[in-house]
Amino acid sequence: MSTTAGPAPARRRRSPLGRAPAPRTLRGRATLAFTAITLVLSTALALTVWGAVSQYLLLQRERATLAQASANAAQLQRGASAAGLTLPQLLAQLPRQTGSTSLYVDSGEWTTTSLLVGRDDLPRGLRDTVVEGTPARQRITVQGQTVLAVGIPLAGLDDAYFEVFPLDELDRTYRVLGTVLLLAVLASVPVALVVGWWSTRPTLRPLERISTVAGAIAGGDLGARLDPQGDPSLAPLAASFNQTAAALEDRVRSDARFAADVSHELRTPLTAMLGAMSLVEEHVDRLPPDGQEGLALLRAEVQGFERLVADLLEISRSDAGSTDVALEDVRVADLLGAVLARRALAGRPPVPVDAPSDAGQLVVRADKRRLERVLGNLMDNADTHGQGLRAVVLERAADGRTVRLSVDDAGPGVPVEERGRVFERFARGAGSTRTQTPGAGLGLALVARHVLAMHGTVTVGDSPHGGARFTVDLPLGGTP
Amino acid sequence: MRPMGRLTDVSRSVLVIEDDPRIRRIVQLTLEREGLQVTEAESGEAGLARLAEQDFDVILLDLMLPGQDGFEVCRAIRRTSNTPVIMVTARSDSHDVVAGLEAGADDYVSKPFVPKELSARIRALARRTRVPEPRREVLVGDLVLTPADGTVTRDGDLLDLTRTEFKLLCELAAEPGRVLSREELLERVWGYDYFGDSRLVDVHVRRLRKKVERDPSSPAVVLTVRGMGYRVPA
Repeated sequence: MSTTAGPAPARRRRSPLGRAPAPRTLRGRATLAFTAITLVLSTALALTVWGAVSQYLLLQRERATLAQASANAAQLQRGASAAGLTLPQLLAQLPRQTGSTSLYVDSGEWTTTSLLVGRDDLPRGLRDTVVEGTPARQRITVQGQTVLAVGIPLAGLDDAYFEVFPLDELDRTYRVLGTVLLLAVLASVPVALVVGWWSTRPTLRPLERISTVAGAIAGGDLGARLDPQGDPSLAPLAASFNQTAAALEDRVRSDARFAADVSHELRTPLTAMLGAMSLVEEHVDRLPPDGQEGLALLRAEVQGFERLVADLLEISRSDAGSTDVALEDVRVADLLGAVLARRALAGRPPVPVDAPSDAGQLVVRADKRRLERVLGNLMDNADTHGQGLRAVVLERAADGRTVRLSVDDAGPGVPVEERGRVFERFARGAGSTRTQTPGAGLGLALVARHVLAMHGTVTVGDSPHGGARFTVDLPLGGTP
Repeated sequence: MRPMGRLTDVSRSVLVIEDDPRIRRIVQLTLEREGLQVTEAESGEAGLARLAEQDFDVILLDLMLPGQDGFEVCRAIRRTSNTPVIMVTARSDSHDVVAGLEAGADDYVSKPFVPKELSARIRALARRTRVPEPRREVLVGDLVLTPADGTVTRDGDLLDLTRTEFKLLCELAAEPGRVLSREELLERVWGYDYFGDSRLVDVHVRRLRKKVERDPSSPAVVLTVRGMGYRVPA
C-alpha cells in the first residue's frame, strides 16, 4: 500500500446505478439534443405521411369499389331483363375484383356468390337503407376480416345489389407503409448521432481550444494564451480570457519572484553570519562552557536557516517556472556511494546498502544535482523524522525500464491517511514539533519536485523493517 | 599531489573584488587565517587597477558590482591576465553561472558559502599543474605542452591558455587515449568531489577548443566520448 506524490488524479464522476449517465461533455449534450430534435421531426413527418397516404389509399379504394359495384348493378339490371340465364349464373358472370362477393336480394330473397357471406353478415341498417332505395356503403367485419360492403338499389321494388370487397390487401399496404416509416424513423437516430457529433465539432472547437489552453495553464504553462484565429465571435472571449491568464501569470511570477528576492536578500547576511561564526569557532576552546553551548546553538540555528533559505529559493525557482533540468546518464551506484561518503564525512553512522551484484552497471537518466538532493533529503528525513536511517535498497524494478531506490527508516512509519500529504510543503508528521525539526517542512516537497522533473515517481509505504520506506523510481539510462 | 597545509603555501595572494564591506572583511579575515595574502577592492575598476600593479594567484570576483558588473570585469581581466577567477554569485540561476564561465571565470561559489568551501576552491585553482616527472614536454597531436613553464605551442607559436585551461589539457594529455569522465576531471582540475558542477568541464572544454583546435566545430585534440567524458588521441 503506497501513495504517489504529485497532483491528485482527476476524480472520476460516477453516476448512480439505475440511472443513465448524463453525457459529460457539451458536445455530447449538443449531439443528444440534435438527435432528439431529429427524432421528433422525423416522427412527425412519418405520422403525417402515414395519415395522408392511408387516407388517400382508402379514398381510392372506396371510389374503385363504388364504381365497380355501380357497373355490376347496372349490368345485373340489364341481365335480369334479358332472359336465358339463371340468377346465380348471372351473378357469377359479373366482373369482379379478386375476393369480392356479390349478393342480390329481391323481395327478401337473397342470392349470393359465396357461402361465406350471406344476408346475415350485412348489418340491418345497411340492408334497410339500400332496399329502401338509397345507395350506401359501410366497413364491416365478416369472419374476422375487414370488408367494405357497398349496396346499390335496383329498379324493381325491393330489389338491391350488394357487393362485399375485402380490404385485407389495403391492410397489408398499410402495414408495409407503417413498417417502412417506423424503420426510417429509427434509422434517423444513429444518422443524427453521427451527423450531430460531426457537425458540432467546428461549432465547439473554440470551447475545445479554451479548455486546452486552460488545461495548459493549470498544468503550469502560465504563458499559454488563446488565439481567436480570426473568429470575430471568439475575439471578445479570447481577449478577456487572455487578460485573466496574463493577470494570473503576473501574480504567480511576482509571488515567486518575491520569494526568490527575499531568499536572495537573505544570502548576503547569511554569508556574513556563516563567516563570522566560523571565525568564532576557531576560538571555541577559549570560550567558557556557557559560551560554547551558546555557540553550538547558534551554529545549529544558522545552519538550519541556511538550509531553509536554500530550499525556499529552490522551490520558488521551480514555482516561477525556471526548470534547468540537466538530464544525463548517471551511474546510480557511484552517485549513491558519493552521497553516503558525504554522510560519513558529516559524522553520520554507516548504513547497510542492499544492491544487486551488477549494480555498478545500472545507469539512470537523471540530473545529478537533483538526484543528490533527493537522496540527501530522504536520508535527512529518515534522521529527523524516522528515528534514523535503517537501510538503502538499490534494485532494478520489475518492469525492466526503471531503477528503484528505497530509503528505509527505523521510525513508526507514515500513517496511511498522511501519505498523500507528506510531500506537500510544510507538512509535518503529527508527532513532530517545530523545534525538533528546523526547516524540515520543505525537504520532501523538494524531493517530489525533483523526482517529477526527472520523469520519475516517489512513493511512501511500509518498510519491511517496520518503519517508513520512501521509494524513488527513475527511468533507466540510454547507454550503459 | 603536493600537500598544501597552511605552512607550506606562504605566498599565495588573493585579490577580493567585492562591494559589500561586511563580506569583504569576513572573507579577508577568513583567508588570512588560512595564510593567504588578501588584497581588497570595492569595485571592478579598483580591482582592475590593483591587477595592473601586481600579480595574484587567484581573483575572487563578486558578480553583482556597482558600475562595471562582474561579467564585464571578468572579460577585462581575461584580456590581460590568465590568473584564475572565482566568481561569487548570489543568484544560482543556471544562466548566471554559465554566463560567468563564458566570460572567462574558472570556477564559482554561490552565496551563502562557508569560508572553508571558499578556501578549498582557492587552493584548488592556485595549485600548480602536476608535472609528469620524467618528461619535460608532452606532445598532443601537433601541440607541445611544457608543464614546467605552463606553455602550449603549435609550430613554435605560443597559444594563450588560462591556467585552468592548461591544467585541463595537461590532465587529458597525461593519459592519452584514456577517457576521463567529467567527475574525474572535476576532481583533478578543480578539486571537487563527485558532485561538482559538470558545466565547469563542458564550458572549459568549449573554451579550450576555441584556442587549440584548428576547427573547433570538428575537434581533433579534445575529443568528446558521448555519455562518458573526454579524451585526447593516443
